[in-house]
Amino acid sequence: MRRIAFLFLAAASLLGAAEGATRPRYGGTVRVMLQSAPTSLELPAGGTPADYWDAARILSMIADNLVEIDTAGHAQPALALSWQSDMNGKRWQFTLRRGVKFHDGTAALPATITQILGERHSDWTVRTAGDSLTVESESPMPSLLAELALPRNAILKRSASGLPVGTGAFRVADFQPGKLLKLAANEESWAGRPFADAIEIELGKSQRDQAIALELTKTDLIETPPQAITANGGAQRVRASLPVELMALVFPSSSKAQDARVREALALAIDRKPIQSVLLKGAGEPAASILPNWMTGYSRVFPVQANLQRARVVLAGSRQPALTLSYDPRDPQAQLIAERIALNAREIDVTLQVSLSGVADVTLTRIVLPSSDSATCLREAALELGMTQPLLHGNSVEDLYSSERALLDLHNVIPLFHLPIATAAGARLRNWQPGRTGNWNLSDVWLEADSR
Amino acid sequence: MTVASQPARYNLRIPNMYGRWSGGLRIGWLAAFFLAATLAPSLLSASVLGDAARQLAHKISSVTGPGAITLDITNRSSLDEKAVREARSALEAELRTGGVRTAAADESMGSVQVTLSESIREYVWSAEVVIGSDERGVVLVSAPRPQTGGTPSSSMPLVLRKNFLFTQEQPILDATVIEMSGGPRLLLLDAGQVAVYRQQSGRWEQEASLAITHVRIFPRDLRGRLLLRRDHLFDVHLPGVICRSSVTAPLTLVCNESDEPWPLSADDNGMRAFFAPARNFFTGTLAPGIGKVANAPSFYSAAALPRAGYTLWVLAAVDGSIHALDGMTDQVIRGAKWGSQMAAVHSSCGSGTQLLVSESGTPEQDSVRAVEIPDRDPVFASSPLEFDGPVVALWTDASGTGASAIVKRQDTGWYEAYRISISCGS
Repeated sequence: MRRIAFLFLAAASLLGAAEGATRPRYGGTVRVMLQSAPTSLELPAGGTPADYWDAARILSMIADNLVEIDTAGHAQPALALSWQSDMNGKRWQFTLRRGVKFHDGTAALPATITQILGERHSDWTVRTAGDSLTVESESPMPSLLAELALPRNAILKRSASGLPVGTGAFRVADFQPGKLLKLAANEESWAGRPFADAIEIELGKSQRDQAIALELTKTDLIETPPQAITANGGAQRVRASLPVELMALVFPSSSKAQDARVREALALAIDRKPIQSVLLKGAGEPAASILPNWMTGYSRVFPVQANLQRARVVLAGSRQPALTLSYDPRDPQAQLIAERIALNAREIDVTLQVSLSGVADVTLTRIVLPSSDSATCLREAALELGMTQPLLHGNSVEDLYSSERALLDLHNVIPLFHLPIATAAGARLRNWQPGRTGNWNLSDVWLEADSR
Repeated sequence: MTVASQPARYNLRIPNMYGRWSGGLRIGWLAAFFLAATLAPSLLSASVLGDAARQLAHKISSVTGPGAITLDITNRSSLDEKAVREARSALEAELRTGGVRTAAADESMGSVQVTLSESIREYVWSAEVVIGSDERGVVLVSAPRPQTGGTPSSSMPLVLRKNFLFTQEQPILDATVIEMSGGPRLLLLDAGQVAVYRQQSGRWEQEASLAITHVRIFPRDLRGRLLLRRDHLFDVHLPGVICRSSVTAPLTLVCNESDEPWPLSADDNGMRAFFAPARNFFTGTLAPGIGKVANAPSFYSAAALPRAGYTLWVLAAVDGSIHALDGMTDQVIRGAKWGSQMAAVHSSCGSGTQLLVSESGTPEQDSVRAVEIPDRDPVFASSPLEFDGPVVALWTDASGTGASAIVKRQDTGWYEAYRISISCGS
């Protein structure tokens, strides 16, 4: 009886058998294409958000930080295994991972790391004490862990030719500025050798060229507009991050819009939803706050709906000079969005002249939100937007809200949209699990073909 | 230099935004009790929401003062309708204790717009309070979001059952339960230690932690095996490292660099295979060999199926193929697209020994099935036993009648250890 059951099952069982899962395989070269064409391997000053992400992703493969910050904003060990601080957060002590080596074979000793951090932060006193290092400052540093996790604090040295030498999963094998970067697996990576033998990154490739190359299986990983997710119905191989960029209007101190009522009225006049659904093709979220809701949970307290009636009330009696609205010409969507905002402004009789020449009274800009730690992110965003540094009096959500509210009440910045970034991968890339804040995690991917 | 791998210690967590939760008010307890009774099935922590309602009510009443307000609540979080209704009830009850009652617009001194929202780590409830014509204040509270759990399933000639053992954030490599004086112990192997847990009041409480020391860097896809022994408690096999527990109390663990082959079965004197110390697979070199076969293709896992007069070894090769070795021949089992995890388990059903194999391995869900190989053609003998993430390890346990399965949950990223056993179906 049982034998018959087994025979019956034999026929059924091997029909439609799914592709089996397997452990990661070693070997092969992961092929990547990027838009940016850096001539040096460092974080760009004054680059576009895309330039920043590309540089940050490349550096994260080459170098490690003392700690990492996960999506929930919690610190995780990297080169530091543990840490502690004094009561007021002015002195932090880190116990470092032992046996870690730089790509040039030298040991990543506490003294070396101390020197690297000390040179970058003149306001810190960084000291070595046995297997640990301490960071001290005159003022409290409650967000020091998040600060140390930022790409600019990656622990790396520079070779004689200026190339980065880190402790990460991959080392620089060849760099042709603006064209090609080849990374090779670090056999002595403290987290274990990565599965791929190498990563080959073609630089300066347009998004169109990237999409064609992926279609023709000439590459394994490309950047893609987040709109592609909507367009292809959520294809599995396209992954969007959480919103990690902010598009906003920024009024410089030289702006003719000195009257805060004009700036406030303009904020109330902008109809964000049509811009998001048409010009941004549904990507991102309309925003009236600096920090996105996934980070704070309170962004809906800042209303995004246009309110022309209120705008006219605010504007009543104020002087309304004609303003010049500038935008970043490198951002392909910026001009159309700027023109749409000018139309919205006209409805409350504010003249915005969209132009790339002359002195800008207001600029449409896009910035990176570089940390999932909300306090650090707010500080970084304020710096990037030219605002005063936020005053945080505590760690509660209310403290964060108060400081963000205080920044926005000056009406020097009008948040418009929170935007994600997206990546697409080819079929042979396995275990591809990009982080929700935009990092690639390529040290854990492996290739279906080219195995071992 | 010897490196003692230890789990990271956090002496100070990164400052976060959790509010402070006061306790004690009778109405709070009543609200919490009520919420617990009604919301428990949806896994919400009633006390957490009750506390949030109490805190928010307190903040609202400190802005409004006693009197009548209109209250509007909008849900923009993952809370379900029932939870929102209960949150409203709790909030109204708490407001009343503060002297604030809800009323129609024409009878109220102001309005309160409450938004139930959430960030990636917590619920955030905001209240926009408008008193008079223009004065607008915002108050906020936050509360941690709950974690979700998983469920079982099953039907066929054999039934697979899973017993949940343990979960932790650090990758678990192997787990086994042993009977000892004073009750059962759970031995849990991860990259840094063997943790010994003792069952107390239905929970595993840690009794000891034995550090694993090693010089070589472990591979990124680390594998490890915990094997109970007759002359001492257990051995641990890791890539390039063997650790042996002490024979007598107190329990200690001594680790040495070693490229000795790993046992492929729980039996001390059984087949062994060399493990590539910087990779995640067995090289294929066997000791003593399967009959005349001393070298097999490199493989991830192997299982022995006793046959009359010989043992059939089934290997999950690194190239994805499944091999059957009987000592004379090495045959590829065609059409068997299983995962790379397999283990042999003895039962009183079917042929008496079944192969447990991992299956689909999608990031969201994986499963283990029992397979019989009556001749050379495999036959599924059970329904899939499903897990909420990939099965990252599957080892035959010490008794041979079960297997330990390690699963990486897709939703939380945590690792779960299970014991899988077989029972005969109808």
